[in-house]
Amino acid sequence: MERHWRQLNNTRRLYTILGLIGLAFALTASLWFANETNAGKFIDRLPHLFDFVGDMIPRDAFELWRALFDLESPYYDGSFQYDYPVGRVYIWGAFYVPEYLYKMMETLNIAVLATFVGFSFGFMLCFLAAKNLTRSRWLRFAVRRFMEVLRAFPEIVIAGFFLAIFSLGPIPAIIAVAIHSIGALGKMYFEVVENADMKPDEGLRAAGGNWIERVWFGIVPQVMPNFISYFLLRLEINVRASTIIGAVGGGGIGETLRLSISRGHEAKTLAIILLLFVTIICVDQFSAWLRKRIVGNQAFEFGP
Amino acid sequence: MLDISNVTRRFGSTTAVKSVDLTIPAGQMVGVIGASGAGKSTLLRMINRLVVPSEGSILFNDTKVSSLSGQALRNWQRDCAMIFQQFNLVPRLDVLTNVLLGRLNHRSTVSSVLNLFTREERAMAIAALERLDISRTALQRAGTLSGGQQQRVAIARALMQEPKVILADEPIASLDPRNAQVVMQSLRDINQSDGITVITNLHTLDTARTYCERIIGMAAGEVVFDGGPDDLTEAAARRIYGADGLEEAFSESVTFTSFAAGKPKVRPTAPPEIAIAIAGA
Repeated sequence: MERHWRQLNNTRRLYTILGLIGLAFALTASLWFANETNAGKFIDRLPHLFDFVGDMIPRDAFELWRALFDLESPYYDGSFQYDYPVGRVYIWGAFYVPEYLYKMMETLNIAVLATFVGFSFGFMLCFLAAKNLTRSRWLRFAVRRFMEVLRAFPEIVIAGFFLAIFSLGPIPAIIAVAIHSIGALGKMYFEVVENADMKPDEGLRAAGGNWIERVWFGIVPQVMPNFISYFLLRLEINVRASTIIGAVGGGGIGETLRLSISRGHEAKTLAIILLLFVTIICVDQFSAWLRKRIVGNQAFEFGP
Repeated sequence: MLDISNVTRRFGSTTAVKSVDLTIPAGQMVGVIGASGAGKSTLLRMINRLVVPSEGSILFNDTKVSSLSGQALRNWQRDCAMIFQQFNLVPRLDVLTNVLLGRLNHRSTVSSVLNLFTREERAMAIAALERLDISRTALQRAGTLSGGQQQRVAIARALMQEPKVILADEPIASLDPRNAQVVMQSLRDINQSDGITVITNLHTLDTARTYCERIIGMAAGEVVFDGGPDDLTEAAARRIYGADGLEEAFSESVTFTSFAAGKPKVRPTAPPEIAIAIAGA
């Protein structure tokens, strides 16, 4: 008995040690591979991290604000680096919107529009994918696989595809983010629908209501708070996604940020990063507030 | 006239309802009694076609209800309103909208979805609520009402369907005695003043005896008793509930429904204001 136990224990220990060795080997190999395939050697380039941080320090603290609000700089020497007013977007007379705020609005616009499109189609599809509402297994299967395909590709991949068709700008970005949102929201939504209380639906069925009426009056009122909650969460995600897509040519603030980093315009880069930071915090806080306001404590409360 | 012949329903290997034959003339108030699992609910749900019979046929005035589908089926469901133990209202919608939903089959889907109910329909809904004495709650959310009030909203919705038959599946099982009495009296009033056939599942013998002119007893999916309240002897009750269940069936007389209502020798008529409400609708 004792011998058998020790034997078992030894075997277990051996497997653990072998496993750890294997893991260490795999980790080293993948790090080496990453370093080899990288353009510059990681170890060689590491000291330049601090150079980059050093380059990011603007010439004085007000430069950041001048860059953010497109004010004239005392360091202006005819070069683009310090020419902040050139980006002004004049709306009416001398009234202008600073370039980065304008670009940020473009990005927010992409996110909001794409989330609305995603919501509309996700809403329409989710009832067809829900087991408790769609009897036909084939229809359910088709709709679910379709939504899977839509959300399988990251926004940036879809954006790359549509950028090739529609050329640079916010339109391909909207299409890309919307497509991904349809798939992602549709999945969330049909899971909410499948958890819905079916008693109201039964009542309407017994009263002779057809499918659309049953869904609209029996299911939608109880799932709507959750739908809105997920919509707002998606909006937060999409603000980030549309920023990233901007960096690959989808317009908006992302594009400006990438250009500014690669050109080494320190004040402009910092201004954009600050703006992004503040905007994303604001969007998150606003959506959290709105969610609480609309949904209250009833988000996950079903039935009576 | 509702003609149920040789109807059977199986769920997997269990048979919920076993070759039931019944004929229910128009305007009758029928109570179906039996222990839990006797097949009462399944029988009612087959009449409304929430459940499809495995065998046999259900006829309503020459329409073969058991084989309807599509719009014809929904039209039958409109004519055959159903009331549930759990009320089955939409808790997040207000009471008035819930009652208006009884009109769904009378109108186009588009106008329903856009909430375009006509002035007549709204007046009809309020009259129905007034008839059940809950018009004060019209603008509250249905989920905030008490069980008894919700059941009365459900009855108002059923009235909006302008049905020929009302099926009630254990309408008072989750209500307190006082509300149970109100609900049963409303059902009897609808039966007597509108001439609508009412078939109601009841758990207890006493309630059935008090309110129904005909009682059908079911046990293990089969009809074991069919007769008037006076024919329901103790021997018959034993056949329905089994020797052990009998005690339980009688003990529920504490629900007071029979107690308070008594056995009316003269059928009550609708009070004048209700008659006006009906005329107004």
